[in-house]
Amino acid sequence: MATFPTLKTHAAMQYPATRQVRYQNQALRFLDGTEQRYRDCAGPLLRWRIPLSLLDEGEVAAIEQFFADNQGAFGSFAFTDPWDGTVHPNCSLETDTLQTTASGEMDGATVLTVVENRG
Amino acid sequence: MLVYPQLGTGALSQFPFRTVRRTRTVVNAALDGSSVKVADAAGAMTDWTLGYTALSDAELAALEQFFASAQGTLNGFTFLDPAANLLAWSGTLNQPAWVRDPQLSIAGGVADPAGGSAAWSLTNSGAAPQAISQTLPAPGGYVYCLSAYARATSATAVTMVVGNSQAGRVVQTQWSRIVLAGSGDASAAEIGFGLQVPAGAQVDVFGVQAEPQAGASLYKPSTTGGVYQNARLRDDQLAVTTTGLSRHSCTVNITYVNHL
Repeated sequence: MATFPTLKTHAAMQYPATRQVRYQNQALRFLDGTEQRYRDCAGPLLRWRIPLSLLDEGEVAAIEQFFADNQGAFGSFAFTDPWDGTVHPNCSLETDTLQTTASGEMDGATVLTVVENRG
Repeated sequence: MLVYPQLGTGALSQFPFRTVRRTRTVVNAALDGSSVKVADAAGAMTDWTLGYTALSDAELAALEQFFASAQGTLNGFTFLDPAANLLAWSGTLNQPAWVRDPQLSIAGGVADPAGGSAAWSLTNSGAAPQAISQTLPAPGGYVYCLSAYARATSATAVTMVVGNSQAGRVVQTQWSRIVLAGSGDASAAEIGFGLQVPAGAQVDVFGVQAEPQAGASLYKPSTTGGVYQNARLRDDQLAVTTTGLSRHSCTVNITYVNHL
């Protein structure tokens, strides 16, 4: 299993970072205006959006290698939530696309989105 | 095969440039939020967007000549990723991609200058210099830079090889980076990179890197290398803006698809 790469500072994220908690609930609405709600999943799932900038070439290469090792969104890995240190054992990259931009020497940028998987 | 041209500086691209890597995963999403995924290893694609500014007349002519030879998106060519380490398995010297002379033995797990244990010890037990090398299907006439971190138990002269270019570099007892820029036979379709250890010597090496430019950049570990054969232009048109005397700018889009 691939390990999520950390930066040279040993941080996994830079500011501004976003964490999203997502539930999956269903609502049945009736003609009289009342509704019945129920939980359609076993629990919430987390999603982290990680924009990274001012990366050096080694950090960009490590992220590209991580993307290749995971085959994009296919592979799963353990991700440590930087907010509370909780290890989420079953996470994936959200998409099959990784865009990196090199604006200068030691000035790379990319965005990773990590999602927690069910099961 | 047709090859993508280097600039007059020996570089392949200018800043900024963009790389997009795409894979293909088939996802069967269930209502409970779980999913079954299947990877399509052959569906990977890589796109590069290379922006050029202040190109000289000669550099623009080389690009236009290349564009005409490729006939836009029609013909494939060899492209060297300007941001990659061209060598395959740069951190795993016992992979088949590396060719070792018979008297040269290697051992991994040596402490490296980055604080890990990814360096390799090269020991030449023979009576003649022995080399470890890798040959790439890349144009011989390009300017390349070979670099590596090295140290030895006592000062030792190691020979670096880039195509036809060879030069000795003294390796000290502390880690230092040794660098050689050079090129090979202009008509050759492949080029070799290697490190030659003198008879009876032992040298620790880490971070062997080859790049299609005249200077070494930060070390980038690699597994697949950065040589893309049968890459293609993504567009059938090449728009050039001239901003002054011998100052031109344009953008070139290149794509590489595994299954083509």
